[in-house]
Amino acid sequence: MTVAGVSKTYEGDAGPVRALDDVSFEVEDGEFVCIVGPSGCGKTTLFRIIGGLEGATNGDVLLSGEPVTGPSPDLGIVFQEYHLFPWRSVRGNVAFGLEQLGMAAGERRDRVDEMLELVGLGGSGDSYPSRLSGGMKQRVAIARALAVDPELLLMDEPFGSVDAQTRDMLHRELLDVWGETEKTVLFVTHDVEEAVKLADRIVVMTPGPGSVREVVDVELARPRSRTDEAFAAYQEQVLDLIRE
Amino acid sequence: MSIELETELGGEFGDERGLRRFLLGTLGVAGFVALWWVASLFNPSYVLPAPTAVAETFVGELQSGAMTTALVQSITHWLPGTVVGTTLGVALGVTLAWSDLADDVAAPLVRVLRPVPPLALIGFAIAWIGINDGGAAFIIAAGAFWINYYAAYGGVDSVSDEFLDVGRSLGVTSDIGLVRKVVLPAASPEIITGIRTGIGRCWMLIIAAEIFGVPGIGRKILTASNNLAVDVVIAYILLMSLVYLVLDTGVEAVQNRVLAWR
Repeated sequence: MTVAGVSKTYEGDAGPVRALDDVSFEVEDGEFVCIVGPSGCGKTTLFRIIGGLEGATNGDVLLSGEPVTGPSPDLGIVFQEYHLFPWRSVRGNVAFGLEQLGMAAGERRDRVDEMLELVGLGGSGDSYPSRLSGGMKQRVAIARALAVDPELLLMDEPFGSVDAQTRDMLHRELLDVWGETEKTVLFVTHDVEEAVKLADRIVVMTPGPGSVREVVDVELARPRSRTDEAFAAYQEQVLDLIRE
Repeated sequence: MSIELETELGGEFGDERGLRRFLLGTLGVAGFVALWWVASLFNPSYVLPAPTAVAETFVGELQSGAMTTALVQSITHWLPGTVVGTTLGVALGVTLAWSDLADDVAAPLVRVLRPVPPLALIGFAIAWIGINDGGAAFIIAAGAFWINYYAAYGGVDSVSDEFLDVGRSLGVTSDIGLVRKVVLPAASPEIITGIRTGIGRCWMLIIAAEIFGVPGIGRKILTASNNLAVDVVIAYILLMSLVYLVLDTGVEAVQNRVLAWR
C-alpha cells in the first residue's frame, strides 16, 4: 500500500483548513504499521482517506498498485466505537460482508465460525451487541472486517474505549490474529506505548497540518515488554519526534 | 427492561411486584366505578347514568348484534385508511430523510401541510370521494400519515454516518442497498414506534371520520349523544377502549419481538 503525496483541505467555519500536507509513506505486505501523532494531526482524516471513506484533495492512495477510489471489502475497517449493527447478532454482523459478496449460506456459516474461533468468540455467535462487553464488541468488529479477507486491515484507535487490562489482552490477541492471518495492518493511535508494543514500523506525524515527520523502524523481537530498556528507548525516540 | 429485572431478581420477588401492581390497579378502577356510582345517584340518567345501567346497555347492544355491526363498519374504513396512511407516511419520511434533493424540494410543502388537522379535510373527503367508507378512510389515512412521516424521517435522519461507512466498506454499493440493509434496520425502533402510535391515533379518529354520515362506532356515539342516550354513548366508548387495548397490546407484542435486540 502506498500513500503518495496526500493532502487534504476542507472548508472550516473560518475558511479553508489544511488537515494533511503531502503525506507519503509505504506499507509492505504483511507489515504491522502504526500511525502515531498528537490530537489534531489529521491521523483520523488520513485513516478515512486510506479507507476510501473520504477523498484526498491532492495525492493518491494505492493498494497493490490500484488507486483507492472508495470504500471496499479490500480495506477492512475497525473503528474505535465498534459500530456493530445492533439489530444483528454476532454471527449476523460477521456475515454481513459475506452476504454482500453473494456467498452461499452454508459457506457463510463455515466462514463465520472460522472467524469467531479466530477472535475467541466461538460460543457467542447468537448474542446481540447490546449484551456484549467492549472487548467482545471489538473482537466482533475485527472478525467482521476480516471475514471478507481484506488486503489491508485499518484500525482507528480500536482499543481506546476499553480499560487497560482488556486492552493488554486485546493487544496480545490482535498480534496472534495478525500472525495467523498474515494480514497487513495499519493501526492509528495517539498512545506511543501501544505503537511501540505492536508495530514493525511507526509513522510519526506532525501536528496540524499533518505530515510525516519520520518513520521509525521498531526492531524488537515479539513478545515485547514495556519494562525492557530497548522498548523504553524507542518510546523516548517517538515521543521526542512528536514533541519537536 | 424492568420486567427482566423483576424476573431476574427471583421468582418470588418478581411475582410480588407484579401482583402488587395488579391489585393496586384493580383497586383504582373499583374506586373510580364506586365514585361514578355515587355521582350517578345525584344525577338524572341523561347526565350521568349509573354504571349498572351502562352495563345493561352494553350487554343489550352486544346481544342484539348492534355492537358487532358497528365494529365491522368502523374497521371497514379504519383498516384500509390506517394501512394506506402508514405506508405512505413511512415511505415519504424515509425518502425525504435519505435524499437531500427530495427534501429540499418538499420541505416547504411539508411545512405548510403539516398543521392541517384531519378534521379539516372532511370537506375534501366529501367532495373528492363521498360520504362513504372511502371518504372516512381518507380522514383516517391523513391521521396516520403525519405521525408515521415524522417518525420515519426522524429515525432515518438520526442513523449514524458511521453505520453507512461500515456498510459501504463491507461492499454495499448502491443507495437502495444501504437503505435496505443498514438505514431501515437502524431506524426500525423509531419507525415501529410511529406505526404503533399511528394505529392507536387512527382508531380514535373514527369518530371524526364518521361524523359526516358514515356508519360505525363513532356514528353510534354521535347519534346517541344527540339523543341524550348517555348510557349508549358510554357503552360504545367502552367498546372503543377495549378494541384500542387489544390493538395496542397486539402491536406492542410485535414491537417487542421485532426489537428484542435493543
